[in-house]
Amino acid sequence: MQEDEVSERTEDVGFTTKQPQPAKTLEMTKTAPAENPINALSLNQGIQPETLSIPAIGIDAEVLPLGTEKDGRMAVPKTPDEVSWFEPGYLPGENGRAVIAGHVDAVAGPAIFWDLADLKAGDEIMVASGEKELKFKVYAMESVELDLADVKGIFGYRSTPELVLITCSGKFDYERGTREERLVVYAELINP
Amino acid sequence: MKKVFVSMSVAMVLVLSLLASGVMAAGDMAKVRVVHASPDAPAVDVYVNGELTLEDVPFKADSGYLDVPAGTHNVEVFAAGSEYAEGSAVLQADLTVEAGKAYTVAAANTVDSLEFVVAEDSMSVTEGKTKIRVGHLSPDAPAVDVGLIGGDAVFSGAEFPGITDYMELDAGTYDLEIRMPDGTQVLPLEGTELKADTVYSVFAVNTADSLEVLALVDYEGAASPDGMPTTGLGTPEQNQMNWVLVAGALAIVAAGSGVFLRKRFQN
Repeated sequence: MQEDEVSERTEDVGFTTKQPQPAKTLEMTKTAPAENPINALSLNQGIQPETLSIPAIGIDAEVLPLGTEKDGRMAVPKTPDEVSWFEPGYLPGENGRAVIAGHVDAVAGPAIFWDLADLKAGDEIMVASGEKELKFKVYAMESVELDLADVKGIFGYRSTPELVLITCSGKFDYERGTREERLVVYAELINP
Repeated sequence: MKKVFVSMSVAMVLVLSLLASGVMAAGDMAKVRVVHASPDAPAVDVYVNGELTLEDVPFKADSGYLDVPAGTHNVEVFAAGSEYAEGSAVLQADLTVEAGKAYTVAAANTVDSLEFVVAEDSMSVTEGKTKIRVGHLSPDAPAVDVGLIGGDAVFSGAEFPGITDYMELDAGTYDLEIRMPDGTQVLPLEGTELKADTVYSVFAVNTADSLEVLALVDYEGAASPDGMPTTGLGTPEQNQMNWVLVAGALAIVAAGSGVFLRKRFQN
């Protein structure tokens, strides 16, 4: 039996924090009667991510803005130490899920997201563009089978800004030339 | 002009215990947004399946989209701070939500005739276009049109309690107004900026003599890929080989310096 560390490490990964609890308290919409309430909607503005850092697992990486491969899959960097942000999707800081992917391993050993499976609820993830830094907090993680992944949901709209990190997990599928699962980390924006 | 209103009695909906389990990506969740649109009702607490889910929601507040498992949920509304007792809610409904869909659930009408108004929300818009619908949630206001000042109606004959279908328009700035079918202006909405790739719901709320507009964003568009990324460059054999080399190298270093090997490299 071949030893496969990525597979072992991601075997039982996954959690979700109880989200509301306590119940959510809502604030009154504050709109001066004179202004047009539609124009007063303040849509969150995002940033073009340049760097990603996750102190809990010692990650500092350059972020490459990439789109899709020819077959439509989200593109990833050719290098093991950089990560890619799905540029046609949401910007970090904008309402919706901004997605950043990185390799778990390289031919020569661990890659940038090798330790992603060690993240815990509450760990912080920083995304920066020049002087502007956004801070997100991990609230859920799961390892999903490649064919069952809800791609539209993982890359989908939310009423608030979220960040999603993706890397490979599970056993290696030799026929497909990739691992059977994807580790998906969900984080919510904690600073405006 | 389309003016199909969502029937109130076809109540579907509602809400939740967010993220019931760890299966949020499995595609079996719905999104639900709650709006307090009853002008004379106090702030309310909303219980879903007996659990306090939204607390102290004031008039004109909306919850933003909450993740709710698909299925039927018992939704109960109480005056804020009341003690929960099953069956004594001021408003109750069993609301059914489908996976992958989004809904707005408004508590509407006056407090003594409180009712849910439920609509399915759009989570898509043609690239570069804007999409908007209106809701008439002012219990004593007559039927109204929403249209261009001095121009055509975009929505005609909107009546309480109803939410229209969406209209897709070119993104841009419009001089809109809410007006009586005879053209008398009820509320001006000049210079309304409707952004590309954005879906809006605009609800007329409060009583007729204090009519005002509650604007919400239903969706902001962005692309998604057709598949998940391929995020591994190695294979287990290569890693294994690598571990052997690394472990070997470290063992040599350790032997020489007394450095303790980290567990990860001992596997």
